Amino acid sequence: MENFTKLKSIVAIGLMLTFHFGSSQTYASIMLDDSRSSDGVVEARAVSSMDKTISGTVYSTEDGLTMPGVSVVLKGTTRGTATDIDGSFTLEVPDNGGTLVFSFVGFETQEVAVANQSVFEIKLKPDITSMNEVVVVGYGTMRKGDVTSSIGGVKEEDFVKGAVRDAAQLIQGKVAGFRVTTPSGDPAAGTEINLRGLNSINGTNQPLILIDGIPGTMNTVAPEDIESIDVLKDGSAAAIYGTRATGGVVLITTRKNSEGRNTVNYNNYMSVQTIQRRPQLLTGDDYRRLIAEEGIAYTDYGGNTDWIGEMLQTPISHNHNLTFFGGNSTTNFTGSINYRDWDGIFKRTGQERLTVRADLNHSMFGDKLRANVQVINRVIKAARGGADGYAFRQAMIRNPTDRVRDEQGNWQERDGYFYENPISRIYEYSSESRNNEMRMSGSLSYNPIDDLDLKLLVSNVQNNNIFGGATTFSHTDTWLNNRNSSANRSTNAYNENLVELTGNYSKSIGKNYFTVLGGYSWQDAVYEAFEASNWNFPTDLYTWNNLGAGAALANGQAAMGSTKNKWQLAGFFGRFTYNFDDKYLLMASVRREGSSRFGANYQWGTFPAASVGWRISNEPFLKGVRNVDEIKVRAGYGVTGTIAGNPYLSQISYNFDRGQGAYVGGNWVQGFIPTRNFNPDLRWERKLEYNVGVDFSFFQDRISGAIDFYRRNVNDLLYNFPVPVPPYLTGNIMLNAGTMRNEGMEFLLNFTPIKKGDFVWNSNFTYSTNRNKLVNLSNEQFDVSREFFNAGGTGEPIQDYTHRVEVGGPIGQFFVWKSVGVNEDGLWLIENQEGEVIPITDAVPEDRQFYGNGIPKHIIGFNNSFTYKRFDLEVNMRGAFGHDILNFQRMFYENPKNIAYNMLNTAYDPVYGQRLNSDLAYVSHYIESGDYLKLDNVTFGYSFPGRGIMQNARIYASGLNLFVLTKYQGIDPEGVSILGFAPGNDERDKYPTTRTFTLGLNISF
Amino acid sequence: MKIINKIILGSAFLVSISFALQSCLNLNEEVYSEVLAENFRPGERDIPAIIAPVYGSLRALMMGWQGHFDVQEESADVIVTPARPNGWYDGGTYVRMHQHTWTPLQWQPTNLWNSSYRSVTTANRVISQIEDGEIQISEGREEVIAELKGVRAFAYYLLLDNHGNVPIVTDFRDVSLPEQSDRTTLYNFIIEEIENVLPSLSQDANSTYGQMNYWVAKTLLAKIYLNAEVYTGTPQWQKVIEVCDEIIAGGVYSLDPVYSDVFHWENQNNQEIIFAIPYDEIFGQGNTVHMKTLDPLSRFVYGMQAGPWGGNCAVPQFIDSYDEEDGRLYDTWIQGPQRHANTGEVVITYRKEVPSIAATASNDGYRIGKYQIKPSATGSLDNDFPFFRYADVLMMKAEALLRTGNGSEAASLVSEVRTRAFANSNPAKATVSAAVLEGNSRYQYGYQNLDGSIDLDSGVIPFGGFLDELGWEFAAEAHRRQDLIRFGVFQTKSWFNHRPHPQAQDKIIFPIPETEINNNPNLVQNPSY
Repeated sequence: MENFTKLKSIVAIGLMLTFHFGSSQTYASIMLDDSRSSDGVVEARAVSSMDKTISGTVYSTEDGLTMPGVSVVLKGTTRGTATDIDGSFTLEVPDNGGTLVFSFVGFETQEVAVANQSVFEIKLKPDITSMNEVVVVGYGTMRKGDVTSSIGGVKEEDFVKGAVRDAAQLIQGKVAGFRVTTPSGDPAAGTEINLRGLNSINGTNQPLILIDGIPGTMNTVAPEDIESIDVLKDGSAAAIYGTRATGGVVLITTRKNSEGRNTVNYNNYMSVQTIQRRPQLLTGDDYRRLIAEEGIAYTDYGGNTDWIGEMLQTPISHNHNLTFFGGNSTTNFTGSINYRDWDGIFKRTGQERLTVRADLNHSMFGDKLRANVQVINRVIKAARGGADGYAFRQAMIRNPTDRVRDEQGNWQERDGYFYENPISRIYEYSSESRNNEMRMSGSLSYNPIDDLDLKLLVSNVQNNNIFGGATTFSHTDTWLNNRNSSANRSTNAYNENLVELTGNYSKSIGKNYFTVLGGYSWQDAVYEAFEASNWNFPTDLYTWNNLGAGAALANGQAAMGSTKNKWQLAGFFGRFTYNFDDKYLLMASVRREGSSRFGANYQWGTFPAASVGWRISNEPFLKGVRNVDEIKVRAGYGVTGTIAGNPYLSQISYNFDRGQGAYVGGNWVQGFIPTRNFNPDLRWERKLEYNVGVDFSFFQDRISGAIDFYRRNVNDLLYNFPVPVPPYLTGNIMLNAGTMRNEGMEFLLNFTPIKKGDFVWNSNFTYSTNRNKLVNLSNEQFDVSREFFNAGGTGEPIQDYTHRVEVGGPIGQFFVWKSVGVNEDGLWLIENQEGEVIPITDAVPEDRQFYGNGIPKHIIGFNNSFTYKRFDLEVNMRGAFGHDILNFQRMFYENPKNIAYNMLNTAYDPVYGQRLNSDLAYVSHYIESGDYLKLDNVTFGYSFPGRGIMQNARIYASGLNLFVLTKYQGIDPEGVSILGFAPGNDERDKYPTTRTFTLGLNISF
Repeated sequence: MKIINKIILGSAFLVSISFALQSCLNLNEEVYSEVLAENFRPGERDIPAIIAPVYGSLRALMMGWQGHFDVQEESADVIVTPARPNGWYDGGTYVRMHQHTWTPLQWQPTNLWNSSYRSVTTANRVISQIEDGEIQISEGREEVIAELKGVRAFAYYLLLDNHGNVPIVTDFRDVSLPEQSDRTTLYNFIIEEIENVLPSLSQDANSTYGQMNYWVAKTLLAKIYLNAEVYTGTPQWQKVIEVCDEIIAGGVYSLDPVYSDVFHWENQNNQEIIFAIPYDEIFGQGNTVHMKTLDPLSRFVYGMQAGPWGGNCAVPQFIDSYDEEDGRLYDTWIQGPQRHANTGEVVITYRKEVPSIAATASNDGYRIGKYQIKPSATGSLDNDFPFFRYADVLMMKAEALLRTGNGSEAASLVSEVRTRAFANSNPAKATVSAAVLEGNSRYQYGYQNLDGSIDLDSGVIPFGGFLDELGWEFAAEAHRRQDLIRFGVFQTKSWFNHRPHPQAQDKIIFPIPETEINNNPNLVQNPSY
């Protein structure tokens, strides 16, 4: 088992620790029962009646290179050898020949009859069964068959096609239990991610996202630049990342030049968008009809303005991606330039993004030392007007008989409470933001001896933002507040460093194969910000570029602020994996991690994990069974943590505060106040997770998949606990006080229903369900305990909370007056606590009850791809079931009471047979079933054959968010936030979601 | 051997890098934008900043959004916040204030609780820091502690008046859940605290403007004695007279001959103001009384740099009770046509009538103009709020005299206060007789119907004439709820769209906030909530 260096370059899988694969023959996917995998065996055997010597060379069909270490065994005997460093072998065989069996991990085993041949040229094909796929795990890679925890992975070819926002949308619906939604149609907005329920109240629920091992976000690299995305779902997989891993770990691997290819790839698409569903409001003619027929005291200004139409546009966006691969097997290069210019459906909204990436690999000293340098520079620019959720509200409520501009061409403004011309807001406010992120990373890998790999990884990420915004003299702010142009400017800088040192040793002894990983990690980050504002400018031409010219600063009214904080995180980690005979698998890991965000006594924590697996299919009793490729059962346990979201929470500190200042001793002084109720004993949340699962693959991989069951208990929940005033200074204190539980099931099925000639239909189905429970909310040290907390808000004028999270109950429950009818006076009838029906005017807070839940119980994804000759078609569907949505749009606009504002054209329709004459109120009538099934993505493509220097080309058309089957009456049942404690609130001020149509082109040279 | 060499080399590589990273194990949090307690050694010059938060929370409490001002006025018969075309229903919160149907969730009294206790707890904290030596004060230590205790007593007075049965907490270090005290215990505690700190309080009114001094403490004492019967069941009229006499004899304060000057945007250090809650449009923001009362169009009248919200206004029945020659009618209320500051055009005309709390036009009802709005005002006024003023001392003494059978002496004090109100119109009307003060109120109590007619409630109010005087003098000064309770009107009378609550007697104190009941199981809710 020596001289595997060359082999490693064959099975190159990036620069991460590659030893798992190359080093052991026990990994050959199918071994004959009597074979011996050790090389010395054959040579040691006494030569009996050997009649002839054969020789040959083994090549890989993948790259045509020779393969060392391939096992060559004479079938039915213990006789065999392994190929040398050049891929050659010689073997004595009986005169009558026999059959040679060539096997190697990750490749299909080949049998060749010896017959009269004496020189062989063998080409081994990579084994494409799913269990041999390589998946990226924490600090390394593993063959899927060896994984003992719950990991979901999606490769480039299976990504969602079309105008995707970020990396998360590439795998939307494709990883069971990993829910990705896009609640906002804003081109600058990202996706929302949730894995296995809500696991933190005040810490983040976001997964740790690593791009080639370095923390980043879902849009650190362009979607086109990604090769694979792997998701570490359960605690046993994620625990190696300690305190950052409760939300799961997403490992993004960028496209790399692995085989020394020299190609250029160009990718381009254009897309147009439309609003997902347009709210139908009363028109100017409706107003006049209602005035004439019903005497409703609307003001008729005589016009007919479609305010939402005035606000919307049909945006055209485009995307260009150019990727170069060049070099050879020792030095190679990957470079990519990605530019996208997206516009939104609201006028004057959009975003431009340029991402440039360069990745350089070099290996020296016979591949013993390998170096990598990667630079990613990203510039995001957005020049926008004032179209936002509030402007959308104004478009909804504005009198449709009114006009946009008056006769003089000025904006038509009217008096009213929160009543502004939305179009003037769009055009009389401008902003510009620029984000610059520079990521530099380098790594050195050194193999002092075979089987040992030492690696040093360093990186630096600098993220800088600058923003400017200003109103003109014609903005509503001048009309309303007499502020003549108001401008602000803000900037912030974030600088994060990472140093990681890992050592990886792997060895196989007989049927035993083990790996040991040890490492140290250091991260620190500094955040700094500054902002200033000013108003009453002599001209509005300066915008934000001459901030000092405003009078408000001189008058002492302008505001200014700055802040800075820093955090550090240190970790030591180790992992041991053991594989006996490809049947019994064990993984154990531990991370000891310290964070500066907690008090001295609670900085360090330990995060252990262990998991086991049993590949039943490799047991003798299943060995020969046809159509069973793989059955593996696995179980794991792991502990991860969550850090407090804000800095300084455990500090005893004070601030000077003008708001708490007073006139003392004849002067105005600022108040010196404690920043918070002190709690130096703050520590992190700990999530303890159990996971059991089965991986399976049948019928030559025509059907494969996985089922997982998990339970996660989060202890020491960080909660901003309400405390009594007195004795406390303020009403809340951050405490570790509670336990939350999530349990659920995930199911993944990949199958190929049809594979006939040129026609292939591949399907992928994912299902997940999660049950959540707040087990308790109390802290003994502070002697506080709570039965519930309220969350969410309606906003004015209803001014009410929407959700209640009760101990013993799940997150996401609406807590509301249950409406059961409407009386003759048009008042809501409410079911009170005794079950009696009373008018809403008599209802008291105690009459509220739980009614529905905003978090879906069942989530499915169903992805199909069809290929026929050069045509390909993809049809992806997603659905969420068993949940409810509070439709704010109807709650505010489907009520005819307040005629100062426009409303939906259904507002005068009878409810329970009566026309409403009730004040706007939060009642259960507006909580609707949110179940939906969405035809989300259809892509149709055609690939051209290569011609001349063009290797291949593909054109495609794609539609995103095409069609929704739902009873929900709002804009989009998926356009709703699923995070936080008020999930399912389909807010009134929003940027509606869109339907996108894309045309794209893909060429390689 | 070769392998061993490689291992040694590899280990050396690992170890050298580890050493290089030794500094990378420091997990101390570096604090940049806060002041770490361990790094701050307060000295004499920091004392004002340290005690400032005790007063600072009073600013939001008094005139802030749904603050003390609203609690005292909206629950009474002078000011109402009706629904407007631009809103102001706000889930019925103003209707509940007007009709006394508030619940433990009502925000206004909760806000008052939170702000009062913020002052209490801040005072406790600073006192304990001084006592523990964390804050070193070489000279005047006793005086600082006395001042803090005095403000704490003031905050407890607000709780005594509004919530009645509340916990008394004096030790910052004790974070056990406090026990509730009844109203009488709280009353006794406050009286005792004030008596204890009086000797250490400054008698120099000028250097302590806006702060707790000897005279403020005395006025507070008078105020508590004035309401002693409400708080404890035992009246203390004689003590009111004694304390007021001492303040009057002190000669530090006097009536300002011009009523409106007391409320002017430059009313700082006004001769009449005993205890001010100072405001400043830059440094001490929070006086938003004009924003809440003015219609948005009034911004043109004052060239305001903010758009008012257009909410509360005068109850028409109260306006009707004024003598038309009383200057205070015009000094207190903005009425009639309002002209654009530059063009002179009429932008809005405020009329007296207010049809109902459920629906009004934007110009219905007279608006609060007592706190004069300076030209180009921002959203925050400069005018200091006179919590206690000299006229109040005179009127407290007058009421105590009146109720103890000394009507004529009372009448002469009231006449003294009335003088400036009629000085420019009809000076003769300033003089009022004991009979008028003892007689029924001029206020036409009764429920107002949609057409403006009143279902008259003609029951006689003892000392109703005196209650009228309090109304005219102290309208829109957050006095009215307390005065109505003392005169029994709060519990028994109808006005505008208010009828006596079925459990009216229980409504004279507010409920313990729901959040506090949830957070502290030792608290028992006030009766009938």
